[in-house]
Amino acid sequence: MEQILKATQLSKYFYQKKALDKVDINIEKGKIYGILGPNGGGKSTFLKISAGLLKPSQGEITIDNKEPGVYTKSIVSYLPETNYFYKWMKIKDALNFFKDLYTDFDIEKARESLKFMELEEEEKVTSLSKGMMGRLKLTLALSRKAKLYLLDEPLNGIDPISREKIITSILDSYSEKSSILICSHLIYYIEKLLDYVFFLSEGRIILSGDAEQLRNKRGMSIDKLFQEVF
Amino acid sequence: MLTLLKYEIYRRWIWLVLRYAALIIIGAILLNRVSSPAYQYEFIGESIGKFALTSLAIFIIIIVEGINMLKEDLFEECGYLTFTIPKKGRTILASKLLLLLLQLILWTVITIGFGSIFFSKLPYREMVQIETQINFYFLPTVLFILTAFFNFVLMIHFSLTLTKTLLVNKKYSGILSVGIFILLAYLIEKVYYGPFLNQIKHVSMEIGSRSNINLLSGGYTAVFLNVILIAIFFTATAYLLEKKINI
Amino acid sequence: MEFNNNIPIYLQIIDNIKQDIVVGKLKTGQKMPSVRELAGILKVNPNTIQRVYQELDREKITYTKRGMGTYVTEEEKTISSLKEELSKKIILDFVEGMYKLGFSNKKLINTLKEYL
Repeated sequence: MEQILKATQLSKYFYQKKALDKVDINIEKGKIYGILGPNGGGKSTFLKISAGLLKPSQGEITIDNKEPGVYTKSIVSYLPETNYFYKWMKIKDALNFFKDLYTDFDIEKARESLKFMELEEEEKVTSLSKGMMGRLKLTLALSRKAKLYLLDEPLNGIDPISREKIITSILDSYSEKSSILICSHLIYYIEKLLDYVFFLSEGRIILSGDAEQLRNKRGMSIDKLFQEVF
Repeated sequence: MLTLLKYEIYRRWIWLVLRYAALIIIGAILLNRVSSPAYQYEFIGESIGKFALTSLAIFIIIIVEGINMLKEDLFEECGYLTFTIPKKGRTILASKLLLLLLQLILWTVITIGFGSIFFSKLPYREMVQIETQINFYFLPTVLFILTAFFNFVLMIHFSLTLTKTLLVNKKYSGILSVGIFILLAYLIEKVYYGPFLNQIKHVSMEIGSRSNINLLSGGYTAVFLNVILIAIFFTATAYLLEKKINI
Repeated sequence: MEFNNNIPIYLQIIDNIKQDIVVGKLKTGQKMPSVRELAGILKVNPNTIQRVYQELDREKITYTKRGMGTYVTEEEKTISSLKEELSKKIILDFVEGMYKLGFSNKKLINTLKEYL
């Protein structure tokens, strides 16, 4: 299986704090991964380094065999936890911005997705509720034909209806040629989507494995396993 | 880079239009008042003063906006968007600086345009007096001021970027940025402009000319010095943006 | 379909499909939904569905025509033995459950007769 992301002994230090401590993670194409763990455990940090926002303190990370940079940013679609749109934007501005800056952005798909998510193009980004913002971010992130999708807590603060739509969208964008990495501490809703999971806490991988194998071996859901481990 | 420039303009196009329209309209109004046959001498001075103030205000707005263009990407959530798009740090920086440059040029053209018309309204004697003083150093002075302020913004950009590299949280970033900037300004004064001024003083001593030596006495050389500073700070800031910052 | 996340999902889906075939919900020779379609309907990972189809193919309950899809077997024999297999499992569960409650074989049969 081809690897799209390879992290070797990846570490990130902030003053005294070890956000990531010698983490080894390999991501293969065509699979959906979960990076699960408590808040502050390093999940977001790992995603941000993969997205090119943070620089590693030690160790290596390559995406499609290249270090994070302009090329990797063009093949990685990152969905952050924050509301990262420019405040002056309307939804249609965000669409056009993505179309202009990403060659793999499918604006027609995005428009369809906006309808599905019940979002209007003329809405100002600053007037969106938390649920709407979450749906918008996901629409844009998944309307790219990226090789690697990094979704940081896509379900946080999302109402149940939006949640179902988000899960459906994630499944729709699955492809054998790309990989999806989901970070969440809300495992119950996403665990059926996951091929493989990493449990990350205090910057270290405590447990990892094929989701179904873990269910088999441990006789419990990933959610329960998570609660047990943490 | 042009795509990014397009968005830098698009997001504030109303303000841009208002800004320069106001400058032109106020200039035109004042000019109109001055052109009426029964003019008074003090009146011209007053109008020139009002125009100068308006012009200065707009200049300050341009500079402050220029600083904020990078500041918001470094310190606010939208930085997550700016620094995940597939563009190099230097491209992102260049698009913002290009808008700043275009605005400075536009401002200069309008201000000097109106300024020269105002001066042409002055009584002949005063006009000649001022002309002989200005003409000599006019172009280098204008270029010097432009490059100096452009460099000023760029130095602040560098200070902010360096702060973002060194500090993670927002708490002391303001103080650190200011500190870095002051340090740089001091160093430039001592190490960079200083020797240059001494050189001129030397030369002037030899020629035996006047005592009032300043940066502008060197003519275009000072402008050239500024351009070098701009190149240095641009490269340094772009490097940090690409390789070192943590958002 | 409701899932029990404590057991491998693919096993649950396989059981479900087997049941559907035995009761006739899925007819012999019927085309199964594509991997993506079924994954979307059940809201599970497509690779899980892939595994399901692979396993069903292995047990010859379905067969996959490359590029065309996965179909329920037309072999009546396979389906009847599947029925047997499933019914055996139900009986096994019943018997074990009754044993747990403390029923002897005789009592077990009598209670069942009464019920029927």
